Amino acid sequence: MALQPDPDRGLIARIERRDGEALASLYDRYSSRLMGLAFRILGETGEAEEVVQEVFIWVWRAASSFDGGRGTVLAWLLVATRSRSIDRLRTRGPALRAGVRSLEESPEPVSRQDVESDAAGRQWQQICRDAIRELPEDQRRALELAYFEGLTQQEIAERTASPLGTVKTRVRLGLMKLRERVRPYRKGQADA
Amino acid sequence: MHNERYEELLALHALGALGGVEPELEQHLEEGCEICEKLLGELRQSAALLAFSVPALRPRPELRAQVLAALGPARIDAPATEAQLLPRRTRWWLAAAAAAVLLFIADHTRLTVQRDRLQGELAGTRSRLVVAEGEAARRAQTSAGAADLAARLRSAEADLARRDLRVRVLESDDIRMLFLGGQDPQPGARAKVFWSETAKRGIVVAANLQPLPADRQYQLWVFDQGKPVDAGVFDVDTAGRALVESRDLAGITAAQNFAVTVEPRGGMPQPTGPIVLVGTPAA
Repeated sequence: MALQPDPDRGLIARIERRDGEALASLYDRYSSRLMGLAFRILGETGEAEEVVQEVFIWVWRAASSFDGGRGTVLAWLLVATRSRSIDRLRTRGPALRAGVRSLEESPEPVSRQDVESDAAGRQWQQICRDAIRELPEDQRRALELAYFEGLTQQEIAERTASPLGTVKTRVRLGLMKLRERVRPYRKGQADA
Repeated sequence: MHNERYEELLALHALGALGGVEPELEQHLEEGCEICEKLLGELRQSAALLAFSVPALRPRPELRAQVLAALGPARIDAPATEAQLLPRRTRWWLAAAAAAVLLFIADHTRLTVQRDRLQGELAGTRSRLVVAEGEAARRAQTSAGAADLAARLRSAEADLARRDLRVRVLESDDIRMLFLGGQDPQPGARAKVFWSETAKRGIVVAANLQPLPADRQYQLWVFDQGKPVDAGVFDVDTAGRALVESRDLAGITAAQNFAVTVEPRGGMPQPTGPIVLVGTPAA
């Protein structure tokens, strides 16, 4: 599959020059993606929107920190969104943290349909979803607990009532399988 | 040495799930192992697939405007302020504070208008008093109408004194406004007290108070050194509203709080009835 080159670096360069229109364009392109991730982690729309707002304001202030050699703009934004969402999640109590559910456990409500409009983006998203769904349940679960709930290996072991060594193995195998699964498509699209 | 042990550590590191420093891994990476660096990068990319797998979700349309507004008035030059990055709870308090400031400004404006109006009324009342006094002097010889004029004079004088007091309180430099909230018997009741510490007088504007039986009245209390002091009684109109002045409270040290109770008509030396309004003065 031929994937588009990253078209966003010009926007980042313009944002560095304090071009508000460029930021607006970046927002229009990716706010829904970031919102989806923040909502997936936080499970609450208002807080997810706050994270999205924080990320774009941060981009406005720190666009120069983007390193094009390390990945795409979207990946950069997703990492920022994830880290801020996890930070918020960690300030919550354990009960609220446990309320965050896995993808299969929380199908999207009809009113929250996927609004990805870009064809390449939809295609890549489907590839990623398929890759994750194809993982064995215990590996997928371990990865999701780490990525979406910010749990450490010890916390994952407690949550899943599994030995620590088993958790380490599941995480390793899960990520290695994902790596192999998408290797044919990876031409900058998933760079983080 | 690139075995499963390193792969495990790198995978956990890529997910941020190590839960602490792994000196062995840190040292290994610091030594510049290109294989592990490359693997770590790939594993980070693999972890990011989880983010890519999440369905997009459109935020509220208003958020876009909020983000762009947060760039500053001149979007070209102004980076976001720290205040725009505050957590929601903090922003809520800031919003509440801003609302309170706006409310204060609105009240201050209203008070100013009210003061100006009262000053005008005061001048008018003084004029009428002069006229009434002159008329009373002219008709003093006539028994008929003298009583009526005297009553009008007393009424005008009382009116003048009340309005004079309102102006004095409202014009005082230290006037402050305190909210009184409705209590259990009348949770919908509310009131504001405009209090001047130097004048030791207050003006109460109350609303949503229930009409009382003829033998009952509302009584205002000011708390001085933790003890309630009678500040006067009042009635409400048919709509449950009242605009009353406290009695002279020159004897108190400082007003700490205010409350309104229901008491026998004429008031009581100490509160005996249910508290319907209570507030806390601002520091």
